[in-house]
Amino acid sequence: MDISVDFAGLKLANPVFTASGTSGYADELADFMDVNALGGFITKSITRKPRKGNPTPRIVETDSGMLNAIGWANIGLDRFVEEKLGILGNMSAAVFVNVAGASIGDYVSVVERLAGEEAIAGFELNVSCPNVEQGGISFGTDAGQVAEVTSAVKKVSGGKVLMVKLSPCVTDISVTARAAVEAGADALSLINTFTAMVIDIERREPVLANRTGGLSGPAIRPIAVYLVNKVYNEVAKKKGIPILGMGGIRTASDAIEFMIAGASAVGVGTWNFVEPDCAVKIVEGIKKYCADNKKKSVKELTGSLK
Amino acid sequence: MTDNGAGSTKGVYEAVVRSNKEIGQRFYRLGLEFSGAGGETFAEARPGQFAQLDLSGAPLPSAGAIPEGLADAARRGIILRRPFSFCDVVRKDRKTQVEILYCVVGPASLRMKGLSGGDRVSVIGPLGRSFSVAEKKRYALLVAGGMGAGPLLYLAKVLTGESSKMEVVVFAGARTREVLPFRRPLDEISRQLGFSLGEFAEYGVKSQVATDDGTAGYEGLVTDCFSEWLGEKNLPARDTIVYACGPEAMLAQVADIARDKNIDCEVSMERRMACGIGLCQSCAVECKVEGSNESVYKLCCEDGPVFDSKEVILSS
Repeated sequence: MDISVDFAGLKLANPVFTASGTSGYADELADFMDVNALGGFITKSITRKPRKGNPTPRIVETDSGMLNAIGWANIGLDRFVEEKLGILGNMSAAVFVNVAGASIGDYVSVVERLAGEEAIAGFELNVSCPNVEQGGISFGTDAGQVAEVTSAVKKVSGGKVLMVKLSPCVTDISVTARAAVEAGADALSLINTFTAMVIDIERREPVLANRTGGLSGPAIRPIAVYLVNKVYNEVAKKKGIPILGMGGIRTASDAIEFMIAGASAVGVGTWNFVEPDCAVKIVEGIKKYCADNKKKSVKELTGSLK
Repeated sequence: MTDNGAGSTKGVYEAVVRSNKEIGQRFYRLGLEFSGAGGETFAEARPGQFAQLDLSGAPLPSAGAIPEGLADAARRGIILRRPFSFCDVVRKDRKTQVEILYCVVGPASLRMKGLSGGDRVSVIGPLGRSFSVAEKKRYALLVAGGMGAGPLLYLAKVLTGESSKMEVVVFAGARTREVLPFRRPLDEISRQLGFSLGEFAEYGVKSQVATDDGTAGYEGLVTDCFSEWLGEKNLPARDTIVYACGPEAMLAQVADIARDKNIDCEVSMERRMACGIGLCQSCAVECKVEGSNESVYKLCCEDGPVFDSKEVILSS
């Protein structure tokens, strides 16, 4: 069963990505699965300078989910180019670099440096991280700033696919989705995590050193499915912009829900931590579903919600 | 596959539960059996390494069997795996038996307690860096705080293996005698002072016990017990190594004592982790950068859990 998809002009072997920040720079995941079985791969957030990340505790489990506040811990642009591009260039999956920064200039300098690299198919702009003081979500919850950073990056992206990752922490996600698309985004990924808090009642302090973190995992999946469907109906469908749907996907059934809701491809995030080869199982599950339901193409699923 | 410095390849394996015995107040030993590729891989598991157990499918004990204070925890669902080190690894009949010492403290270990013979558990491992078995040293001093005794039991076994001439002494501390995580009947322990712990004695390892309240062994902190002992012995620093596992404040003390005496020291760290395999970046351990005042975060799961005590910044 052929489940290849066209995603913003990229021909992907299948619609399954691993989401940013949950699969390292790919080499970590390679111990557990054939990374070439993926349709797409998204690196953890890369910033202009290396970042140590936040103090610990950086995670806490909740019912059906977890909070994280890693704080963009990464090796920085220079080391990323030196040490990781080679590995990523050997992957058959479409590689997206997740780009983060505290200012528009930060985003621009990372994208500018990587725009000419053959190893990279596209960029995912992280304008929705809840765990850093500057940048991230402070960009992503303001439509004007989403537009500004998107159009600034678009100019230097060298024709590579530009995907903007949306925050669910807004009143109307279609407003930021539209702002990104009108400013030149070729694709949208949603959703990032929800800002959340867990309190240690003995100490009366938040469990996370960062106090708050981003809630991910199965707990957010129904909200993510709803938001994907909303953005599909209100923005993406009309503009012909593909959606990378994510939020709590564990199984092929979960992934298929997102596609029916309007996603052209799906991202597996938190579940990589529990079952590091789950993405491969999801690819197989999607194939089976398409065959069982006599779909000629997996594309027939996208937006097929009655 | 990655060489983790211990000659074994990590992976996702299925284990069969062979035993799950209560050995003291809320302390249990879980026996897992690996066969096939998992058996071969886990046969190479080193002391200080760990595995990530998926306990989400294990049954909760019945309402009446839930220990006091854990009723709310029992209500919580779990999704993430939990990391455990090994207190023994035995290769026999082409199978590998791995023992895990654990304490029932929350929603995952409550489920672990519900596992019984024949149950299957998904296990990722063996993971992380082990204690370095320093064959050239003559004396190995093991300092355990509470549950930290687990990996040190397996270390003691390896250190005293065939052809070893190493002299090994363990210092095991706990708040009170009830929470000393050892198999030996507690009545027996309480009657004797300066007794030997059965599990360590099996390997010819002498033990010193310390309890905060003096209900067993030395009255006071295990670090004080260790420090006093070390002060009396005058061991040659170059021929001695200290291995410690326990609460971070204890590790900080042990590291200071070893540093003052110029003795090498390795500490096993603990952090909240989601994946255990370097993906989530949550288990950061702050480490010094040589020749600088800067620090970096290393990962407890991959760079540790065992670190050179001079490398980590331990919070007391």
